Amino acid sequence: MLELRRVTKHYSGIPAVDDVSFSARPGEVTGYLGPNGSGKSTTMKMITGLIEITLGHIYFEGKLIQDDLIAYKRRMGYVPEEPYLYNHLSGAEYLTMVAQLRNLPARQSSEQIDGLLRLLSLYDDRHASISGYSKGMRQKVLIAAALLHNPQLILLDEPFSGLDVASALVLRSLIQELAARGKVVLFSSHELDTVERVCSRVVILHRGKLVADDSIERLRSLMELPTLEAIFSQLAVEQDSVSMARQIADLIHA
Amino acid sequence: MRKLIEVLPLQFRVLYRQFLLRVIDLEALSIQADVVGYLGQFAGILIFYSLIQAVGALFSTLGPPPTPQALHIMAWHAEHSSIEIMMLVVGLISVITWDATFPDRRDVMVLSPLPVASRTILFAKIAASASILALAILALNFASSFAWSLVLAGMPDALRFLPAWWLAMIAASAFLYGSILTLQGLAALLLPRRLFLRLSATLQLAAFALFLSAYFLEPSVLDPNLFSDPNNHWILASSPTYWFFALFNQLNGTLPPQLAWLAQRATIGLAVVVTGAAASLLLCYLHTMKKTVEQPDLIPGAGGSHRSPRFGSALQTAIVLFSFRSLTRSRQHRVVFAFYLSVVFAIALSLLASELSSTGHPPLREDFIIPTLVMMSLAVVGLRAVFALPISLTANWVLRTTQLSPSEKYIAATRRTMLLLAVVPVWLLSALLSLSLRPWHHVLAHLAVLALLGYIFAELSLINFYKVPFTCSYLPGKTNIQVAFFGFIFVFLILAISFAPFEVRSLNDPALFASTMGAFLTLAIALWLFNRHRARSAVLYFEELPEVLIQTLGLGAIRPSDADLPSGRISAAGE
Repeated sequence: MLELRRVTKHYSGIPAVDDVSFSARPGEVTGYLGPNGSGKSTTMKMITGLIEITLGHIYFEGKLIQDDLIAYKRRMGYVPEEPYLYNHLSGAEYLTMVAQLRNLPARQSSEQIDGLLRLLSLYDDRHASISGYSKGMRQKVLIAAALLHNPQLILLDEPFSGLDVASALVLRSLIQELAARGKVVLFSSHELDTVERVCSRVVILHRGKLVADDSIERLRSLMELPTLEAIFSQLAVEQDSVSMARQIADLIHA
Repeated sequence: MRKLIEVLPLQFRVLYRQFLLRVIDLEALSIQADVVGYLGQFAGILIFYSLIQAVGALFSTLGPPPTPQALHIMAWHAEHSSIEIMMLVVGLISVITWDATFPDRRDVMVLSPLPVASRTILFAKIAASASILALAILALNFASSFAWSLVLAGMPDALRFLPAWWLAMIAASAFLYGSILTLQGLAALLLPRRLFLRLSATLQLAAFALFLSAYFLEPSVLDPNLFSDPNNHWILASSPTYWFFALFNQLNGTLPPQLAWLAQRATIGLAVVVTGAAASLLLCYLHTMKKTVEQPDLIPGAGGSHRSPRFGSALQTAIVLFSFRSLTRSRQHRVVFAFYLSVVFAIALSLLASELSSTGHPPLREDFIIPTLVMMSLAVVGLRAVFALPISLTANWVLRTTQLSPSEKYIAATRRTMLLLAVVPVWLLSALLSLSLRPWHHVLAHLAVLALLGYIFAELSLINFYKVPFTCSYLPGKTNIQVAFFGFIFVFLILAISFAPFEVRSLNDPALFASTMGAFLTLAIALWLFNRHRARSAVLYFEELPEVLIQTLGLGAIRPSDADLPSGRISAAGE
C-alpha cells in the first residue's frame, strides 16, 4: 500500500501541496484529480522521489520511502505528465537504456522490449529517432519504460495524453488488469469519464488541499450527484464555465 | 549605427537576433546567454593568432635586410599561409554552423503560420551567417594585415597592398562558404528530406576532415622554380588557396604574368560559387520549406544489426552508449568536441605527413612524443568539457527515477566512458602513427607511458565530476572556451615539451624508465583511490547552481524542511 501522511510541499514559503494524507491500495486503481495548479503533479513528483517533501511522510508497504529510496525505485514505475524523452535515441535504444539502468537481465529485457514495442504498435519505428515520434508514440514509449520491470507501484500522470482511441482503450484495460493482479495504481487525469470507468476510488485536490477521498459510489450517494464530473465541479471548480466562455468571446469581439 | 539598424524592418531584426543565437549554438546556451561575450571569446582566439602573426612579421625586420629574392619568397609564403589559414578558419566555421543557413523543421513549424515572408527569413539567416564570417575575417586579419603591409610592401605601396589583402581574404572566405552552401543546397533540393538529414551529418564530418587534411597535407610549391615545374601544375590548378594567392598578387600588382590563369580561376570559381549558393538558397526557401512540412524527419531504421555491444556492467554499458550516442548524434556536442578534436586531428595529420615524407625507419624522438602527449591531453579535456553540456534536461527524470545503484557506480561508468571515448582512440591512433618508428621496444615503451598518462589525465579530469555525462544543467559562460583553449596551449604544451627529453633519456636507461613508470603507476593508483573514496559519499547532481555570493548564518538548518535538503544543491526536476 502507498500511504501519504500529512504531506506538504512549499515553494518559496508558498504551499503547493498542503497537509495531504491518503492511501492507494493494492488491487485498486486510485484516481488522483484536481484542476490545473492544484498540486497533483507536485504530489506525483514527491511520490517518485523527484522532489523533496517539505513536511510529512510517504510510506510504501509500511516503509518510509526515503529510508531506502533505491529499493523503492526498483518497485516503482512512473509515467510523467509531459513526454520528456532523450530525442536523440531511438525508441528501442531508450527502452534498452532504461532496462540497463534498472539492471534487468539483458536477454529477458530484450524480449520484453520487443514484445512491448510490438503490442504498442511501435515495432516498425523502433529504430527511428524519438525526435520524429508523434505525441502518442512518445507516450507509448513512456508507458513501456514504466512497465518494463514489472513494478508493484504504478504512477500514471495523464497517461492517455496524445493516445489514439484504440491505444487508449488498450491502456484503460491494461490499468484495470494490472490492478487486478495486485498492483498499486495511482492514476492522475483530467478525463473524468475515463477516471470514472477505471478507478474504484478517487482523491480530489483543490488549491493544494485534499477535498475528497472516497470511493466514487460513496461520493455519488453522499453528495447526491449523478456523475464524477458533477462531483468534481462542485468540489474543485470555482468559476462558472458558461459565464467565463461568454466573457472570452465578448473580449475577442471587442 | 543605431538609427541605421532601426531602418531595418522589425521582423528582420527579431529574426536576425534569433538566428545569430542559433548560428553560435542551437540549444546549449540559454536565451539569456551572453552572446556578445561568447562571440568575444571566439574572436579573442583569432585576434590572438593575428597578433602573433603581426609580432612575427615585425620581428622579421630586425635582422639584416633580406635580399630581394629572399624577401620575394618570404612574401609569397606569408601571403599564401595567411590565405590558407583564413580558408581553414572559414571551413571550420562552416562546419560549426552547418545547416544554420537553411530552414529546419522548427523554423518552418514556428514561422510558417506567421505573416513573415520567406525572403525575410532568408535575408535574416544570410545576415546572421555573414556576421560570423565578417567577425572571423576581421579578427584574423586586423593586426597581421597591417604588419605584413608594412614589412612586405612598405609605404606608399602598402596603400595598395592593404585593400588587395582584404579583398582577397573576403573573396577566399566567400568562395569556401559559398561552396558549402551550394553543396548543402543541392543535397537539400535533390534528396528526399529523410535521406538529406542522414547524409547531412556525414557531409559535415567529411567537410571537417577535408579542410584539415587539405591544410596539413597540401604540398607547398612556393618557389619560382617549383611554380614553373609541369609536375606541380595539378597542385596549382586544383588548390583554391593558390588561386586566391594569385588573385591577391594580381590585385596587388605583383603577379607574374604566367600565373594570371590562377587568378582567373579564382574569379571564375567565386562567380560560380556565389551564383550557385544564391540559386540553391533561393530554391531551398521556395521549395524545401514546404517539403520540410510534408516529409517528416522520422528516419526509418536502417537494415543491419542493431545489437548493442557491452562495455562492462549493464549500468556502465548504458552510460557509455548514452554518451557515445549523445556525442555522435547531437550537432552541438559534436561541434564543441570537434573544436578540441580538430587540434588532435591536425597533429595526427602533421605526424602522418612527416611520416610519409621520411624514408626508412626513423627513431622515436621528441617530435613524436610531444604531439602524442598533447593529443592525449586535448582529447581528455575536450571530452570532459563536452560532458558538461546537457543534451535534454527535461528528460533527466528517467535517470533519477531509475537510480538504483550508488553514485560511485555511476562515477565509475563515467570514468569508463572517458577512457573508451578519449584515451583509447588517441592511444590507438598514436600506435598506428608509430608503426614506421624504430626500435620497437622504444615505441612500445612510449605507448605504455602514453596509456598511463592517458589514465592519469582521465582521473584528474573527473575530480569533483559527480554527474552523468550530458545531463547536468549548464551555466552559460562557466565553460570558458578561451581560458580552456589557452590553458591547453600553454600548460600542456609546456609540460609535454619539458617531459619529452626526459622520456627520450629514460628510453635508453632501463632503470630510469622503470622508476618513471613506477611513479606514474603510483600516481594513477593514488588518483583512482582518491576519486573512488570521494565518489562513495558523493551525490549525483543534475543542476549546476551559481555560487552563493552571500554568506548565510545557517540558521535555517533548524527548520526541518531546510535540514532535509542536501547542502548547496536542490532537486532539479519540477523546481
